[in-house]
Amino acid sequence: MFQVRNDEPQYAFLNDETIKETNCYGKHIQTVDVSSELHGKSLNINLDSEIGENPNRYKQHGFHFTADNCIGCHACEAACSEKNDNPAHIAFRSVGYVEGGTYPDFKRLNISMACNHCDDPVCLKGCPTRAYTKFAEYGAVLQDPDICFGCGYCTWVCPYNAPQLDPVKGQVSKCNMCVDRLEVGLKPACVSACLGNALNFGVIENTPENREQAKVEIPGFPRTDITNPNIRFQQTRDMPNEMTRTDSMSVKYHKDIKTGVFEPVVDKKKGLQRSWSFDKLRSREDPLVIFTLVSQAVIGAFLFMFLGKLAGIESVVQIVNSSAYLPMIFVLLGMEAVALFLSTMHLGKPLRFYRAFNNLKYSPVSREVAGIAVFFNSLGAHFLAVLVNSQIAGVELLQQVATFFAYVAALSGPIAIYFMHKIYRIEARPFWNHWQVLTAFYGNMLTLGSLITGLFFVPIFMFNNLPVTDILQLVAGLMFVGLVVEVIGHYFHAKHMNVKGREGAVSYYEQVTTFGKTNLFRHGLLLINILVSMALMFVEQVSVLSFIVWVALTLSVLTASLISRAMFYVMVVPTTMPGAFFWKNKGFEEHARETGLASVVEAGIIADTH
Amino acid sequence: MLFGRKKKNPIIIADKGVVEWKYTTCGYCSTGCSIEVGINGVGEAVSSRGVGGADVNRGKLCIKGIFEHELFKTEGRGRTPLVRNSWLDEYQDTDWDSALDSMAENIKVIQADHGRDAFAVVSTGQILTEEFYALGKLTRGAIGTNNYDGNTTLCMASAVSGYKRSFGQDGPPGCYEDFEETECLLAFGSNLPEQHPIIYWRMKEAMEKRKFPLIVVDPRVTMLAQFADMHLAINPGTDVVLLNSLAFVIIDEKLADMDYIEKHTNGMEEFQSIVEDYDPVSASKICGIDEDTIRNVARLYAKADKAMSIWTMGINQSTHGSDGVVGINNLNLITGNIGKPGGTSLSITGQSNAMGTREWSSCSGLPGHRALENVDHRQEIADYWGIDPEFLPKQRGLFQTDIFPAIETGQIKGLWLIGTNPMTSMPNTSRIRKTLEKLDFLVVQDAYEDVETTKYAHMFLPAAIWAEKDGCFTNTERRVNRVTNVAKPFKNSKPDLWIFSNLSKRFENGLKMKFSENAEDMFEEMKELSKGEHRNLDISGMSYDKIEKNRGLQWPCREGDEKGAQRLYSDGKFPHVDGKAKIIPLPFVDNNERPDTEYPFWLNSGRVVEHFHTRTRTGKIGNQNKFSPTPYMEMNPDSAVELGIEHQTYVRCVSRRGDAVVMVQLTQRIPRDMVFIPFHFHDCVNRLTLGLLDPHSRQPAFKQNAVRIEQVDQKEAAQRNVEARGY
Repeated sequence: MFQVRNDEPQYAFLNDETIKETNCYGKHIQTVDVSSELHGKSLNINLDSEIGENPNRYKQHGFHFTADNCIGCHACEAACSEKNDNPAHIAFRSVGYVEGGTYPDFKRLNISMACNHCDDPVCLKGCPTRAYTKFAEYGAVLQDPDICFGCGYCTWVCPYNAPQLDPVKGQVSKCNMCVDRLEVGLKPACVSACLGNALNFGVIENTPENREQAKVEIPGFPRTDITNPNIRFQQTRDMPNEMTRTDSMSVKYHKDIKTGVFEPVVDKKKGLQRSWSFDKLRSREDPLVIFTLVSQAVIGAFLFMFLGKLAGIESVVQIVNSSAYLPMIFVLLGMEAVALFLSTMHLGKPLRFYRAFNNLKYSPVSREVAGIAVFFNSLGAHFLAVLVNSQIAGVELLQQVATFFAYVAALSGPIAIYFMHKIYRIEARPFWNHWQVLTAFYGNMLTLGSLITGLFFVPIFMFNNLPVTDILQLVAGLMFVGLVVEVIGHYFHAKHMNVKGREGAVSYYEQVTTFGKTNLFRHGLLLINILVSMALMFVEQVSVLSFIVWVALTLSVLTASLISRAMFYVMVVPTTMPGAFFWKNKGFEEHARETGLASVVEAGIIADTH
Repeated sequence: MLFGRKKKNPIIIADKGVVEWKYTTCGYCSTGCSIEVGINGVGEAVSSRGVGGADVNRGKLCIKGIFEHELFKTEGRGRTPLVRNSWLDEYQDTDWDSALDSMAENIKVIQADHGRDAFAVVSTGQILTEEFYALGKLTRGAIGTNNYDGNTTLCMASAVSGYKRSFGQDGPPGCYEDFEETECLLAFGSNLPEQHPIIYWRMKEAMEKRKFPLIVVDPRVTMLAQFADMHLAINPGTDVVLLNSLAFVIIDEKLADMDYIEKHTNGMEEFQSIVEDYDPVSASKICGIDEDTIRNVARLYAKADKAMSIWTMGINQSTHGSDGVVGINNLNLITGNIGKPGGTSLSITGQSNAMGTREWSSCSGLPGHRALENVDHRQEIADYWGIDPEFLPKQRGLFQTDIFPAIETGQIKGLWLIGTNPMTSMPNTSRIRKTLEKLDFLVVQDAYEDVETTKYAHMFLPAAIWAEKDGCFTNTERRVNRVTNVAKPFKNSKPDLWIFSNLSKRFENGLKMKFSENAEDMFEEMKELSKGEHRNLDISGMSYDKIEKNRGLQWPCREGDEKGAQRLYSDGKFPHVDGKAKIIPLPFVDNNERPDTEYPFWLNSGRVVEHFHTRTRTGKIGNQNKFSPTPYMEMNPDSAVELGIEHQTYVRCVSRRGDAVVMVQLTQRIPRDMVFIPFHFHDCVNRLTLGLLDPHSRQPAFKQNAVRIEQVDQKEAAQRNVEARGY
């Protein structure tokens, strides 16, 4: 058990005299009752089997932050890092600020934030490995780094930046509510360390002594309806109508005059100039750019052949019956294997990849991985069955096995893509949370799937002097449909982002400024691709010209897809907490990496090792 | 409710395996927090925590204290003594005996050729009181140079000078407990949340129990200014005008405590005649605070039953630093607010042991607030030390800020720097560089061999750091607290006391005097010297055990006293010969470098909470340094627009002294005609500062300089910035 000192100051002790029945979201503050099997267990902290005697052990606890008082002295962050032995580049708690007004009528509002141990922890649901548990004890949401495989998905879904992905260790860790201190009646280390009397802790909904508010919003804090966070605020000092962020995020907060609530809006920090910013298209998620595109192409190509044959389209039947069919499946398997390898190596701990299936019940990541696994294995089984069948010729059972796995692959592929899209439907990432993801993914499936099928078979057919016009027309037609689906998505997405405001509008602002030229280029390519593929649908004769046009279209489609997907990953603006000028400022981190300031360990910035 | 896993692994929470907690006192600022350092099974310091029962910090620590145990493992520590003939040569490792022999020899040669005062000593506010006492004994009694000072001239000299002028002796008369009692708090140029977070917390605690008005005088909207009931955004360098005007209103409206003035002070009439020139209308034109506000504050302060003033570098680091302190003392004397609970003039000190050097280092005279100018004091000390009183100078020598110009012009040939880094901390560092190049012999004694000043040294002596040593610190409220041996000195580094005591053996007088490597022996000597009926600085009632048991004791603590006194001058008796305090008239002359068309911005400098002084320590602790790993400059966005300067880009600041490249942080916390740069960073703000000296304290005006801002090539600027950061 944690050692309470003889001279432990009074302020360090938990102090909840009365407790409410329900919280402001209408949920019970009591986590479980005595009859529950979760009751009366040891937390087993560092293998200590004792059970804490805290009388409020089964009540949801949370932080109370008096924003009026925070002086931004870093004592909470320091106490947290000291206790949890965290290196400089990891922090379970961080202080950022927003500021507004004009000298000398100026106000800075510091915000100290860690994990909010939410009622509805999206990290727990999202984590594919089930590294997260919400404990009946104190309602603490704890993460087990020994289970985590470092995919970082929890860092995407959390609206508050609570989970910390450590690129050095390749795993996530986060605030543990200092449950060891709670067990002996002490407040968490950060709270005990606070020098502004801003941070407090106790059973949720309790207003601490000397405080009058326990509200759920202050300027700069993301919306609470996503996860029902267990944090309450006091903020009685009036703030200017507009509060800005010092970090590089193009977000500011504007007060709604009627409600007094601050909403995030675009802060045009970078002006309106359009740039290319090609270098900024690269990111830690590069492997996912490849993985998603390749998987969609492979699934699309297989569906092209499978459905084409099912529908009895003559040219496709010809393809499937040709001796090139088996090599084609082999190539598809190879492509998907490379894609899977890349996405696995993208994990912090690739050897733990098998844990991806741990959370099929809730995590779209688990479901996507399962879908892809079923597709990949079915395709493999289909390949083997066809291969063996072709060697021993005409065994009925093998034929049926091959067909069975073809059906499974054809079914699991699109389902996998559906779950792949679900991964990005994250409320804390408004830019992604739109049906456009689905149209882009299925659109790409059609476009790229048809394209690679054509790329593979047309040369072979031509070499064997077989007619290719039908295939080319079919490929062009399907590409046309895929591209149109994709563009419709883009159109509605852009419109939606603009209307909805908040961080989505910020992403849109980045899209038309930082990536403004790249974006126009991408749109131009998409438009050309649509027109050209439409024209190619009606080309009856293969000529040198049509050959050149096809080569150009191929390059153009691949370029547009790559740019689109890369932009998809780098432009997302999460609903994060405001950073400070150096710490938790993405702009400064990038600058430090570029200039070499980050080479000093003490700068607390580590170049991404992925 | 969704709970997730039913089968759970044990919860793993970092356990540093502390087996023992060792008591000590923080070695950064002068708040004087008691710390317990956690030692693990293999004897390593792995954790720090505030001592729960310590009155100063009551279990709390600021960010610097929380990571202080990491100091023992920081990079760049001095391993062994280093020597070389010229600063252009490479250093060679050497042993202590050879180093100290050579050092004594070099000192003697310089003194023989150029006179005893041609060798100067500049020390610090960071080493232990016993070490200060030993250094004073060595410098005054054995080496015999009168050019001996501490870097406290850069931080507290104005407070010392002001206290001496007003009350007749140094020593802050108040204590932190005064926050619990006061009915009005006036803070001048003091940003407690950033500079002294624990003192801020003590104030906040008091304020949450019982609200009292807080008035903050500061040109920037600091967090304290933002939280104040009234923020007086004053024009730089004009505090004396505001103070005179407050006095004008108090006298004019008959709010002064005439009874107190009559009984306990001198000089009121002369004061009044000068103050007459500072009516609020005239004063407002100079200091920028409107007349209504001046009247309002004066009335509030004078009518409060108990009112207190605190100040830090905003007052001290100015050409009117000493006058500013006197002005604050005047304000408190005419309102009867000295020595009473909640009524005081409390300077918030800078370094962990700035007070210790003021008390015992003999920098400004002789130990225990004694003066070289006083023949009895010279006799008393010479007798106690066992030397000829004629060996001691009869007048105080040069201050730190005059020692460097004396090197520049050739009067001083040798210099010993102890725990101080003038290459970063002095104003106009390019001048300091040139100065240091000229020295025949420069010894740098420091815990870090990468401290920038070693560049020009001929000898480097590696000192042990903070709690690798044993002794005492004195804090802002005159509390003597214990620093204990938490860790062994790093490699072949030695406690400063060991170095002083071993060097003393190499001087004729040193062999006659008693020097000990044991801190407590020196403490006992100091106790003897502190005895005396009229001595406020009396520590004879203290002992190491008693200090630790009480988590620090305030002086005076006379023999037989159970505890020390919380306040000075409560009886209305002051150390001036006539027993009265002086109310001193303060005519104001504006001699500052002011912004003009060529250099249109005020340059202001100051501290950030995560760093201490020249970053030799805090720059090496990642969990602190990450909050400002590189220098920055606060600038008003409206002036930035005019110059086409963008947030988070580099600019070049140019003054009449030099230039600095720095990253811009646009914020409305600073006025349009001012920029602010933290002073911690090497080759940055002090390349620009002028540092005009205060006539009384010789403290430089770091905060009143003029600069212009120019755009630079971003890539080159970034490179220059990276290259300037050794750590």
